[in-house]
Amino acid sequence: MELFDNLLLGLSTALQLNNLIYCLIGVVIGTAIGVLPGIGPIPTVALLLPFTFGLAPASALIMLAGIFYGAQYGGSTTAILVNVPGETSSVVTCLDGHEMAKRGRAGPALAIAAISSFFAGTVATVVIAVLSLPLAALALKFTAVEYFSLLVLGLFAAVILAHGSVAKSLAMVFLGLLIGTVGIDVNSGVARMTFGIPALSDGLDFVPVAMGMFGLAEIIANLERPAVRQVVSQKLRDLIPSRADLRAAFPAMVRGTVIGSALGVLPGGGAALPPFTAYALEKKVAKDPSRFGKGAIEGVAGPEAANNAGAQTSFIPLLTLGIPANALMALMIGALMMQGIQPGPQVMTEQPELVWGVIASMWTGNLMLLVINLPLVGLWVSMLKIPYRLLFPAIVLFCCIGTYGISNSAFNVWLMLGCAVVGYFFIKVGVEPAPLLLGLVLGPQLEENFRRAMQLSDGDPSVFVTRPISAVLLLVVAVMLLAMLSPAVLKTRERALAE
Amino acid sequence: MSLRLLKAAAAALTLCAFAPAMAPGPAAAQSFDRPVRIVVPFAPGGTSDILARLIAPKLSEAVGQPVVVENKPGAAGNIGADAVAKARPDGHTLLLMDIGSLAIAPSLFSDLSYNVENDLAPVGMVMFGPYVLAVNPSVPAKNVAELVAYAKANPGKLAVANSGVGALNHITAVALARDLGIDWKNVPYKGGAAASRAVVSGESTVIINGATATLPFVTNGQLVGIAVTGDERLAALPNVETFKEAKLPLNDAGTWQGLLTSGKTPPEVVAKLNAELNKILAMPDIQAKIAEQGGSVRPGTPDAVKTWLTTNIKSWGDIVRAADIKTN
Repeated sequence: MELFDNLLLGLSTALQLNNLIYCLIGVVIGTAIGVLPGIGPIPTVALLLPFTFGLAPASALIMLAGIFYGAQYGGSTTAILVNVPGETSSVVTCLDGHEMAKRGRAGPALAIAAISSFFAGTVATVVIAVLSLPLAALALKFTAVEYFSLLVLGLFAAVILAHGSVAKSLAMVFLGLLIGTVGIDVNSGVARMTFGIPALSDGLDFVPVAMGMFGLAEIIANLERPAVRQVVSQKLRDLIPSRADLRAAFPAMVRGTVIGSALGVLPGGGAALPPFTAYALEKKVAKDPSRFGKGAIEGVAGPEAANNAGAQTSFIPLLTLGIPANALMALMIGALMMQGIQPGPQVMTEQPELVWGVIASMWTGNLMLLVINLPLVGLWVSMLKIPYRLLFPAIVLFCCIGTYGISNSAFNVWLMLGCAVVGYFFIKVGVEPAPLLLGLVLGPQLEENFRRAMQLSDGDPSVFVTRPISAVLLLVVAVMLLAMLSPAVLKTRERALAE
Repeated sequence: MSLRLLKAAAAALTLCAFAPAMAPGPAAAQSFDRPVRIVVPFAPGGTSDILARLIAPKLSEAVGQPVVVENKPGAAGNIGADAVAKARPDGHTLLLMDIGSLAIAPSLFSDLSYNVENDLAPVGMVMFGPYVLAVNPSVPAKNVAELVAYAKANPGKLAVANSGVGALNHITAVALARDLGIDWKNVPYKGGAAASRAVVSGESTVIINGATATLPFVTNGQLVGIAVTGDERLAALPNVETFKEAKLPLNDAGTWQGLLTSGKTPPEVVAKLNAELNKILAMPDIQAKIAEQGGSVRPGTPDAVKTWLTTNIKSWGDIVRAADIKTN
């Protein structure tokens, strides 16, 4: 059987001692930069690129890939412990993960995050091995029309995402869409709301906005509260998730993995879409949606599984088509070219031991991450015992270093500090920043794809309903809309909110 | 405080933070006495970035100081270029980028914060990478004549994907349409990779982009090669004619990567950097790596780059103004 042979070939590459070591180096670095807020995998990989010249191509790619998915593991740690999303993808983990930590359940939250990531990573490895070619073909079917419909669906998810008033969450989505228009418009080249500041011409970077509104705003709010810290239990029993936790988390893990695997393949979807969508789905299928935002374990398991699965399946377009799905994959292409390998569809047939070696290494890497991360849970939780007056300056410092590092620009640091003030205001008036962030991420893509679809169809809007994938996506939106507006659902929603 | 005030405040504070770096330094030293920075005004992973990272260790040996590559992306390369233009003019801050973008910038941005010809001093050309003009297989054309005939018979039907409004491949597509009297749509994408994907998937139908990015799709049959720029046919595509053979204009369109430094840098420092750059470009391993990037080394004098810039600022500028392409 060909698949079996391929996997065996991959494992024989991935299990070579030197490749195991490079994989370990990669995932350890990845975990470290994931834990440090704002310091993302992209600058790290760029920095390490020259060091990979001397390595065999498979070793180089295995290490760089390890950094990428390792960062997804580490990113959840700071999100849960101090409400600072270490990576774009862990913004959603803040919502319920940090709530769990506040309730003294940081241990189970961290453990569930690691277990979900491992589960998703394992499944995603199999998905890549089995479904690479059909998924790559599907990704090519996504043109501007289909993207637009997918993004409409995503924005509807944003409204479901928020707890509390629909009006407030709609307002936040629109605010997000509005600040998403800042910068040079892709379709026309017109600069909008840049006030002549060059740093604004590419729009507001997601990471400083997210870190300011979530992490730093939370710090300001914490500082004005009297220093009442709940006692952190160090008993092993309180660190590991209970059987009930696991039972509640498992279905969420499975759903998150499916969503992440599918959305990760689509180029340009970005790191934000899979966890946001997974969270929205968990909330939708939950018997009692009001628990979300108050430490629901499904709210950690689903998004964590989704972001790890998505991180891995985003390798599919790279490995099968030579097309990068995101900025990091573009860097990987650079790494391949430095090795003298022409990235493209032929890599899979010409360099099978490279491609399958990287795929197999993802599983060994995920196993290493689980082994590294589970014992660390106790250590991370004990960090919460550090007095807050010592902890918060360190967090602020790392946030500043991290945001500066995104594009070596002090502007992003000021942007983050400004967003911290705005985020503090949001806490005071009781609105959630999550829908704003989704609007900020999806709005520009929504506009870009809508206008491109219209340009290509000569202004004929019927393409959105005549193309099958797009029609199905819009149908789902219509059904959701009807369900939301139907009196029965409105009543339950009111009841849920009243609780 | 309103968002706008906040932004203004943030910008003002940013300027303050940068102020010390902008203050004019003492007269440039002859030797290199602190780390040298190569600023790449784009995100990591692109051609400029890879070139900078190839050259950095060699340059470090030559000048006896660490050489670090710093990515300063944003505003189509203008943020990084501006930083170098305003750096201390002692040859310790270098800029490596596609100088075609530099040649277009003055025409495209009416409020450019630096003067390309006065505030930047060319050190030397690094490489030239040709463009490949390719189409999705759904387009019934195998060569330039067939493509032009198809475009004339079906005005407005072909869609040329480019890497962004005002990008060099956008201007090239506009100029080709003008000179050939054809009408095709120009569809902007966020960067060359997104544009390639769109043409492979058939969302758009034509692409003019660097050989490195386009070749794999052509050799694999996902795109059909129509023509290449540069003086010779590509070894990988012996049956694809050059622009010159096909009597197309713009035969030297492509990516021209150059090294520059701040404008007031003393000529002897520039000469020293130029000599070291040309020595590095003569190294066989560097030449091999640059060939892998789909290009060839172009060692030359600072003056040659200066002339190139002056000529192209005018010729690209004419096209930009004629087509009324603006970004602000």
